[in-house]
Formats: sequence, structure tokens, C-alpha cells
Amino acid sequence: MLDGILTGLNTAIVPFNLMMVVLGCFAGTFIGMLPGLGPISAVALMIPITYGLDPASGIILMAGVYYGAVFGGSTSSILINAPGCASTVVTAFDGYPLAQKRKAGKALALAAYSSFTGGTIGAVILLFAAPALASVSLSFQSSDYFALMILGLTAVSAFAGKGKVLKAFSMTVFGLMISTVGTDVISGAPRFTFGNLDLVDGVSFLLLAMATFALAEVVMTVLKGEHKKKEPDMDMSSLGSMKLSKDEIKEIAPTIGRSSIFGFLVGVLPGAGATIASFLAYGLERNLANAKQKLQFGKGALRGLAAPESANNAASTGSFVPLLTLGIPGSGTTAIMLGALIAYGIQPGPRLFVDNPEVFWSVIISMYFGNLVLLILNLPLIPYISRLLVIPTPILIPLILFFSITGVYLVSFNTFDIYMMVFITIAAIFLRLLEFPLAPMLLGFILGGIMENNLSRALTLSDGSFAFLWERPLTLGIMLTAGIVVLLPFLSGFFKRSVLLAEGRPADAKSGHREKSGKTGVASLGEG
Amino acid sequence: MITRDHIGGLFFLLLCSTYGYSATQIPMLPGDEFQPFNAQTLPIALACFGGFLAICMLVTASRSTSDKLVLTGLDFVLVTKLLGLVVLFAVALKWIGFLLATIVFLAGGYRILGERRLKVLFLASVPFAVGLWMVLARLLDIYLAPGRLFTGLFGG
Repeated sequence: MLDGILTGLNTAIVPFNLMMVVLGCFAGTFIGMLPGLGPISAVALMIPITYGLDPASGIILMAGVYYGAVFGGSTSSILINAPGCASTVVTAFDGYPLAQKRKAGKALALAAYSSFTGGTIGAVILLFAAPALASVSLSFQSSDYFALMILGLTAVSAFAGKGKVLKAFSMTVFGLMISTVGTDVISGAPRFTFGNLDLVDGVSFLLLAMATFALAEVVMTVLKGEHKKKEPDMDMSSLGSMKLSKDEIKEIAPTIGRSSIFGFLVGVLPGAGATIASFLAYGLERNLANAKQKLQFGKGALRGLAAPESANNAASTGSFVPLLTLGIPGSGTTAIMLGALIAYGIQPGPRLFVDNPEVFWSVIISMYFGNLVLLILNLPLIPYISRLLVIPTPILIPLILFFSITGVYLVSFNTFDIYMMVFITIAAIFLRLLEFPLAPMLLGFILGGIMENNLSRALTLSDGSFAFLWERPLTLGIMLTAGIVVLLPFLSGFFKRSVLLAEGRPADAKSGHREKSGKTGVASLGEG
Repeated sequence: MITRDHIGGLFFLLLCSTYGYSATQIPMLPGDEFQPFNAQTLPIALACFGGFLAICMLVTASRSTSDKLVLTGLDFVLVTKLLGLVVLFAVALKWIGFLLATIVFLAGGYRILGERRLKVLFLASVPFAVGLWMVLARLLDIYLAPGRLFTGLFGG
């Protein structure tokens, strides 16, 4: 492991890669700060740039953008009560009230310290957890991989929130369907190309990611008329002091510690992601608080701000564990990174740390640098970076649209891709209006090819018999876990209904709850 | 009461039926149909599973009025204009080249979104487009075709 750490360190401290971390954190902070654009859109916008870089630098840049965007989202949550992404919605609960009390500086500093600690604790655990898990998974066979893909896809759908599970599953299937467009790699037969030469190579991952998460996100802002909102009137002199007192540090230190570990563990679960981690950490902290402290939650409690901030950053780091070790993305954002790695010809999974140790370790090591950059550079610059929030939206929207389109065009130089983007954007908007989550679709699309290859290999080896699903204990174990994950939302709904009936509570209490958790689910997958 | 769930379920059922039909039309090599796995296997399985999910969606669809698809307050005209501008950009790229197409797209986008000041329209599009073109074409040496109109007029 020491060799690996040194390899990672050697790659990460190359001046160019350090520059990538700094650039990534800045770009991520800026994009994450813009209401409506979260880490998933920020990382998607970076893909065309990474195509010109070597794999390690590209992934380092994207990782920097990822945690920069999570941090940036917190800034807009605190300053203008407009979360940049779903994972920072909870940050606004106590961050914005603090800003209203003219303690925005303190809230921003606390968010930065919590993010830094959460990210660093997450990176330390990742340093040990990732190689351990990767060594175990080296013994995986094609049947295990197939089962893993099923687990990854079902987990993401199952975490979609009540009322959305079926829609999330459908979107996963839709993503798998899109992945079958193009020439079949096994037989060479054209599938769903309808005689169009531009579809022979299939739908490009970059095009799909940009259309569904960058273009559609901006167009949705316009559709809802959110671009007409007045630019926030921010007075930088009213940010207040950024210093925390000793008592305040004492109060929040245990919160940050437990929320970081908790956030990391939630982040490791495929599909759970930073949003669920932040909501759960906030809930946990509120439950742990005494009656008097509980009253402060929602009115500017420091613990209420520290908990989600530590948890969402630790979860962002945690989501790299399944990505780097099993090749299963833990969130929509890591799904995009998975696609980028595949585009580089690198297969994430157990063999990543054997075949491409420099990528594996440099990503982990660069996380430390990324967190340092966020703390040392971004925090003092926040008052200035946040001025970008006042750029008029009529100027900002066409620029984001332009970057999304040219990002795709400058890779293929084919205008058909632009028409295709428009078509996919329209489909994505239609699906968003019907409350279908889009992250499972992207996951299905990315994992579709690998899944089909492994299924084909496993079926051929077992002579067409599906016995491979239960012959190996490992495959069976993973499939059973996937089965439990699928049943979990339905079972929990059933138990809750039974409890409500037993208590004789009215049915509307149930529907109210359903609506609330459904919204959370959408947010979680939207953020990825 | 037709809700978002019903529309989503119906849409998905239609999609799976079309996809399933197209899956049966995938050409196969002789003898492939006897293989345990061929080019049609996964698509057909996906169509069946997707169809099952769509039916489940329709059966369990919410009938609550709060789940009705509400389109009021959504600015479809503006979105159509913006997406139309994106299509125009693609056409313009072919005919007038990257630089001019970028200027047209940005200035058009700002105007569609309500910016009327000519000075702003000019300053936020021309310097940006020229700067980006210089970076791509001169600094990074990426070939950006000048456009059919110019190659037709001036050769190239």
C-alpha cells in the first residue's frame, strides 16, 4: 500500500496535476454556486476538457470539480437561500438563518471547516477501505460482475424515494436500452440504427451526459421562469467575522467527527449519495441534541450546519469506494466519472489498482490536496467568488448552453450530435416534468455495455443456463443483496402502512409523508 | 383522473413495445439464433422487463389531484426559441463557420432572454467569440472549418 501511496503522491504532486486540483476546485465552486447547477452538471461540463488530458489528470480535475461544486452549493445556500445542488439543501436550513443574523462569514467558515474535515476524514478512510475492498474483489468472475452491475443498478433505483422506485427502475431500463443502440460488439450486427450512419457507433456518453444534465438543467430553469428572478443583492461588508470561538469549536467538533464517518458510510452505498447523507446526518444530530438545543435547529444552529456539511463531503469521498474498487458508481456524478474513465480505455473495478495504480492512488491523494485548496484558497476568496452570483442570468444561460453544445461538438466535429442533443434534451424535459429521475438512466447507459458483455460471457460459459446466478456463493450473495435492495422500499412502505393502521392514523398522514419523501428522492437522484 | 404516473406508464409501455418490435428486426448471423446469447437477447429481455414495469406503473399509478401534470406557468415558447437557436447554431456552423455562428448564437441567446441593450449584446458576444476562436484555432491549433459559404465564395 505504501508503494501505491507513493505512486499516487508522485502523480498528484506533478505541478500540472496540482494546477488541475486548484482549477477544478475553483471551477466547481463557481458552477456549484449557480442555483440549479450541481456537481453532476459541473462534472459533465468538464468532460470535453478532460479528453485532452491524460487519465490521471482528467480524473483529478473532475474530482476537484466534484467537491468544489459541493462546497460552492453550500455558499449559495448560506448567502441567498438558493441551494446550488440537492446535497446542500439542508445546509440552507441553518446556514441562511445565520446569514440573516449577519453571521454569514461565520456560517461560510463553519461550512468550509466542516467540509474540509468531512472530506479529509473521508479520504483517510478511503485510503484504507478502497485497496482492501479492491483486493477482495480481484477474485471476481464474469458472473460476479454481472451480479454486481445488477446490484449497482437496483441500489440506485431503490434509493430513489417512495413513489419513485418504479420510475427509477424504468429509467434504468431506458438507459440500458439506449446502451444497445449501435453496432453489437459481439456479432457486429447494427442495432436500432435505422440505417443512420451517425448511430453506428451508438449514442456517445458525453452527448447523453451533457444533454441530460447540463443542457436540460439550464432549459428547465428557463422553462420554470427561474431566470427572471432578480439577481441577489449581496452586501459583502455584511458577511461578518469568519472566526469561530473556542466554545463554538468545542460544540461542533463531535458533530463534525460523527457526521463525517456517518456520511462516508452512507456515501459508500451505491445510489445513496451526498443528499441522503446530509439529510440523515442532520436528522441524527437533531435527535442527539437536548430539548433546548433542538429548538435552535432551523434558526441558525451551528450543529445543524456542521452536520450536513461534513456528511455531504464525506459522502462525496465515500462514493469513490464503489467506483474505484467495483466499477459501480455510488452516485450520478461518479457515474459520469465512470463514463469518462471508460472513454479513456480504463476499466474501473478491482483491476484498476493493479493495472492503473497511478490513476487509483492519485485520485485518492489529490482529495487531500483538493480539501486543502478549498480551505486555504477558496474560503478567503468566497466574498469575491460569490460576486459571480450577480452576473445577469440572461448572459449566463446562453454561455452555459454554448459550453454544453461546443463541448460535444469539438470532440466529434459532427453537427448531427447537436441535433441529437436537442432531441435528448426535449425527451429529458418531458421525463423531468413527469418526475422521472435521470441519474438511473445514465447509470444504466454506462453499465449497459459492461453488463451485456459479462452476461454474454457467463451464459456462454454455462452453456445457456442461468445456473451461474446461484452456483457461486459470491454471485448468489450479491444477487440476494440486490433482491433485498429491490424489496426494501416496498417492505418499508408496507410496514409503515401497517403501523399507521395499527395506530388508527388517518390516510392523509400517509400521503403527506409520501409526497415529502418523494421530493427528497428526486433531489437525491438529481444531485447524484 | 389522469396523472403524471399514468402518462409516464403509457409512454413507457409505448416505448417498450416499439423497442421490442425493433429488437426482433435486428439482423443475425446464420446460426446465431441457436446461441445462448445473441444480438437480440438483451434487447428483447429489456423490452419485456420494461413492459412489465410500465404495466406496474399504470396499475399502481397515483390518482391524487396533486399528481396531475400541471403545465401552467411553464414558458414553452421561450424554451422552443432557445432550442431553435441551438438548431440554428448547428446549421450556421456548417455554413458560416465557428466564429460567426458563435456570435450569432450568443447574441441571439441574450436577446431571447430579454437583453435589449446593443452594447451589452455586442460586448458579451463578440470579444468572447473572438477570444475563444483564437484559443482554439491559434493556440491549440484545432482546425475549425470556415463554413461552406466562405469556401464557396473564396475557395479553400
